[in-house]
Amino acid sequence: MWINMGPQHPMTHGLWNLRVKIDGEIVRDIDPEMGYLHRGIEKISEDRHYNEIITLMDRTCYVAGIAWEHLYIQAAEKALHVVPPERTLYLRVLVEEMQRLASHIMWYAAFVQDLGLMSPFLYGMRDRDLLLDHFQSFTGGRLTYEYMRVGGVRNDLPPGTTDRIRKTMDWLMDRFAEYDRLCLGSQIFRTRCDDLGVLKAKDCVTYGVTGPMLRAAGVKRDLRKDRPYAAYDRLEFDIALADTADVTARYLVRMEEMRQSVRIIRQVVDWLDHHPGPVMAANVPRWLGAPYAPIGHEGYLLKRHYSKGVGLSAIEEPHGEATAYVVNEGGEHPYRVKFRSPVFVNLSAAKSYLVGYHVADIPPIMGSVDVCVGEVDR
Amino acid sequence: MAEEGVGALLRGKLPDAVLTVEPFDGTLGRVTFAPSHALEVFRAVRDDLGFAHLSFVGGIDWVAEREVVYLLWSDERKAYLLLSTRLDAKDAHVESATPLWPSANWHEREAWEMVDITFDHHPDLRHLLMPDGYAFHPLLRSFKLHEPEELEVKTRRV
Repeated sequence: MWINMGPQHPMTHGLWNLRVKIDGEIVRDIDPEMGYLHRGIEKISEDRHYNEIITLMDRTCYVAGIAWEHLYIQAAEKALHVVPPERTLYLRVLVEEMQRLASHIMWYAAFVQDLGLMSPFLYGMRDRDLLLDHFQSFTGGRLTYEYMRVGGVRNDLPPGTTDRIRKTMDWLMDRFAEYDRLCLGSQIFRTRCDDLGVLKAKDCVTYGVTGPMLRAAGVKRDLRKDRPYAAYDRLEFDIALADTADVTARYLVRMEEMRQSVRIIRQVVDWLDHHPGPVMAANVPRWLGAPYAPIGHEGYLLKRHYSKGVGLSAIEEPHGEATAYVVNEGGEHPYRVKFRSPVFVNLSAAKSYLVGYHVADIPPIMGSVDVCVGEVDR
Repeated sequence: MAEEGVGALLRGKLPDAVLTVEPFDGTLGRVTFAPSHALEVFRAVRDDLGFAHLSFVGGIDWVAEREVVYLLWSDERKAYLLLSTRLDAKDAHVESATPLWPSANWHEREAWEMVDITFDHHPDLRHLLMPDGYAFHPLLRSFKLHEPEELEVKTRRV
């Protein structure tokens, strides 16, 4: 018998439909139905100026907006032959890691709530708000930031931000220990997570699964280390790994990743304190309406036809490997923009880690995938 | 590994299939191959060169031609390789990569519905993001988005 879990279901975290073929309580087959949140971001991008697409990137993944801005902006800069200044690279790492923390905490809150534990949800949302406060202080937004620009970032940090970030990091490190006590010490949590949704290393590679799911199976692949971008090659951190490849392992990997993010952020704020400098490349406009600026205004430059180019960028987004492919044919708009969403691929492999388990196991397993439908459907 | 090392290796193995090898920023190179030899190229790249992870498959409409781009990752080399092939727009079809890399499944379904490229021997080529029976291919250049409509505001003279 086929049943629908979705499009409105507490397990889905977004609009999509998981069709499940069941035999009693056992899952025999599944078929995800996507597209409920398809907004045609790749198509709309073909009618937008390069800086205007940043606005769309925040809507691509609504819990990791700034990571997607970073992904797009790197590809756009390569396609347009723009080189950002060094301080920008560190600022981008800072916001990407803070976004990773916010995204993982959001995942933690939602995932544990799916298991029926309510208080971790409240703690998680409380701690994520501290990060959003920082974002608000220098981007103006709490969810959709529009912070990155072709050639840099919109503005530098306001005075005192680095100290406030340090304080938040100290607070968060204590909270992570608390999270672990709440979850790993809970019999309910362990019963619902251990040995579920197992996807071994070999299958992960075959199905193209990336991110915490891949590292939970013991595969040491992290684009921040393997193919460093921005300033990651100058920062010290470890790749979080686990080996049991089940839901608990994914929890452990994400928790360790958050600790590593804190480690990265502490190094970055130290660097930022001692290396002032410009945050925009010269002669590149920083405001979004710039392409319509009159001739002679600084904002006119993006209207200039840049020589052709193709830009490819890949980042380790909170959910896994995200890539962007931007084709610049010399016009005002990109000719084609293609995004690879990590969740898109992780979800396409769902059959391999859901079949054979019980229907009641689907919420914890899908929770451990960290589905963000915004970036799947784009 | 030298910049065009992998491409040259592939060209040596399959001289008929590989058309061009050029450097591409951020990857080991960009290899263009003839669509009729797609399966041989996929096999050589996966089994002999060790690119076990297929990152994405994307379609690009160049009006007269359609391009399919494959991005591959090798854990041993810790680098990307870009494959590309050009198809005639009138009869755009290429062998599916899904039997070799299951991760291509949804990407190919998307390229099929968005850019109208048929992937031969794909196990499950049907709509993914668009509703079943949707007759258009939105990412073709011929599919125009509507211009924003101008709203004429008439104010009454007092």
